[in-house]
Amino acid sequence: MSSSNAGNRPEEVQLATSAHVKYIQSLDTRKDEYDYWLTEHLRLNGLYWGLTALHLLGHPEALPRAETIDFVLSCQHESGGFGAAPGHDAHMLSTVSAVQILAMLDAFDELEKRGRGSLGGRAQIGHYIANLQNRQTGTFAGDEWGEEDTRFLYGAFNALSLLGLLDLVDVDKAVKHIVACANFDGGYGVSPGAESHSGQIFTCVAALAIAGRKDLVDADRLGRWLSERQVPGGGLNGRPEKKEDVCYSWWVLSSLEMIGRTHWIDRDQLIGFILRCQDTEKGGISDRPGDMVDVWHTLFGITGLSLLEYPGLQPVDEVYCMPKSAVERVLSRYKK
Amino acid sequence: MADQGGSQHGIARTSRVRTEEQRRQDVEKIAKYRDLDERVRKELSQKRYTPETFQLTSKLLQLNPEYYTVWNARRRLLIYGLFSKPSAGSSPSTALPSSSLTATTTTSSDASSSSLSTATPPAPDPPRAGKSGTTADEGDGSPEQAEESKKAEQDNDLELIKQELGFTIPLLLASPKCYWIWSYRLWILQQAIQRLPIPIARRIWEEELGLASKMLIKDRRNFHAWGYRRHVVEQLESPELGGTSLVESEFKYTTEMIKVDLSNFSAWHNRSKLIPRLLDERKADDTARETFLNEEFGQIFEAINVGPEDQSLWYYHHFLMLNLVSPVGHPTIAPALTRETRITYVIREIEQIKELLEDYDDVQLIYEALIDYTLFLCQFLERKPDGSERAELVSWLDKVKKLDPMRSGRWADLERDCGLVEERPRMMTMAS
Repeated sequence: MSSSNAGNRPEEVQLATSAHVKYIQSLDTRKDEYDYWLTEHLRLNGLYWGLTALHLLGHPEALPRAETIDFVLSCQHESGGFGAAPGHDAHMLSTVSAVQILAMLDAFDELEKRGRGSLGGRAQIGHYIANLQNRQTGTFAGDEWGEEDTRFLYGAFNALSLLGLLDLVDVDKAVKHIVACANFDGGYGVSPGAESHSGQIFTCVAALAIAGRKDLVDADRLGRWLSERQVPGGGLNGRPEKKEDVCYSWWVLSSLEMIGRTHWIDRDQLIGFILRCQDTEKGGISDRPGDMVDVWHTLFGITGLSLLEYPGLQPVDEVYCMPKSAVERVLSRYKK
Repeated sequence: MADQGGSQHGIARTSRVRTEEQRRQDVEKIAKYRDLDERVRKELSQKRYTPETFQLTSKLLQLNPEYYTVWNARRRLLIYGLFSKPSAGSSPSTALPSSSLTATTTTSSDASSSSLSTATPPAPDPPRAGKSGTTADEGDGSPEQAEESKKAEQDNDLELIKQELGFTIPLLLASPKCYWIWSYRLWILQQAIQRLPIPIARRIWEEELGLASKMLIKDRRNFHAWGYRRHVVEQLESPELGGTSLVESEFKYTTEMIKVDLSNFSAWHNRSKLIPRLLDERKADDTARETFLNEEFGQIFEAINVGPEDQSLWYYHHFLMLNLVSPVGHPTIAPALTRETRITYVIREIEQIKELLEDYDDVQLIYEALIDYTLFLCQFLERKPDGSERAELVSWLDKVKKLDPMRSGRWADLERDCGLVEERPRMMTMAS
């Protein structure tokens, strides 16, 4: 079981790196398309998806650094939280994207200089996120209106640990909440009682990884459930008896990686499936072969390929969904 | 980053070259949309919490239900403008009792966090734009008058709540996986609890079960709708709404859903979660519990007999088996079963599954179950597989490896873990 023949596939498509780079670069030039405006609520997330993909493709400079930082900081509120675009309310999801982008661009110094709020800098963001923790149950809300979901818990852990501020929240209580979300199949749901879902499994296992509590995962049971997500054709689905989708190349595979079971699925077949979802001409990756591409599936196709050690890609961190080198650089600051 | 909103799912790739006509239409649509967006932003920045502004947000959300900031603006419009009483109980930080967002959240719900209206006041004195422009403390009238104005306020709020519930239904039907619509609807329902007499609020919540069912008819696996259903049930059962347990009817609901579609794992999952409470509330004795377990085994086996390739069925069967062999640490169906009875039942299941091989000799999941359950049995008896078990395990594993080469790494690990091959280092792909 190795991925050694991944780069040696004369019969099959190769990764269309330069088309993907161009596709991502073109995303902010489509202001004459209706969809560009309808997706403004995802602008900051989209920037994170695109930038991460570019870093993994080995083209970190493909988006202008200074302008990117300016845009990110223009989305911040006095509370410390970030909206998806200027004029959009602050939310956990866009705040996490902002932190991840600034971390990738090594721009925390800009944040310290120019960040909004009375505390300013990292501290203000940490304050915003910490206030979204439900101190009774340990989980997190997405914003002041109170929707709770393990996605937000993971997002909080991701951003706070990158900021070196995880001690602002009650980690033990959050860990207990994750344990309460576990099901008999070894998976995790949105909240206690909810069905196991690959996306939520990623958020729960990655949050446990950040908390240093992967020992709480039933790795064998979860590993078998995750490995059973691979369907004939090589793609992965998100739940039993559902269709495959490129994005699960990330949610399922990163979870398998975190519990040391990546070799429980067929790597070459998954590589083949992801590559078949590319638009090799115009760039971008879609959910299934022949469908419309978008930046979200483009990122998760590429992160999947990176975990599968596809040649020429930078290694992705399975917990943070960022280049490993960036995560190591940021986290090493806080190591004593 | 786990947000799927706005991404393309299942839409066929078409040529990205637009015709001149398409381009012209796009330009027109964009202009209309941006104009509307601008108007909403302007009204809110000038704190015009009026029915007219509210109408504009309706239009905008109908064009784009993913625009979460506008859903938030709508909440603020209701709290500060249209609902009758901008009481302390309606501020965001206390709007959801399940959330204990601390006092600091109140400061984050001030001007700084609201984007569209850069200076939303905490609303001590909002403009009165609701139908009922009166408030209870307005005059020093008689108790009858106070009662009357309270009634008028409730009528106003009830109408608004009903209107909002109606507004979101077509949007949910069109975008059943849009997180923002579901969470807005729950927020409105929470307003019903805070603003209306309990019996009226309860009736509103009861109708939500109908909506959840309707959404689950459209898509049996929609996890938003399943989660919504569990949340609604929890509220209906709560003392806040004068509730009693719904576990029997919810259990029945899973039975009905399974009858329609045996493959619906979401229904099987919910069933597994309801059973411990169901049996507790039935005050089921040990015999009743054992009977219940056997009935569940009978039912799932019948289904497996028809569709042995269906993962959903095997997951539920696995859940029942865990009730036999892993009785500690979590609530189980029949905790008082003796060791001997447990062993008998495990062996019974293994034997039944072996019989399936007569009809289906190339279904991987059958072999997988036989391997799992034989190992369960050995673990439960705290011994290694004996000679004949070992021979069976080897032959089943051979079959699985042939039928399922995709997961060969997993079968190799299993082979080693069962002691069926000589000890070799575990294949780890990473440091975990």
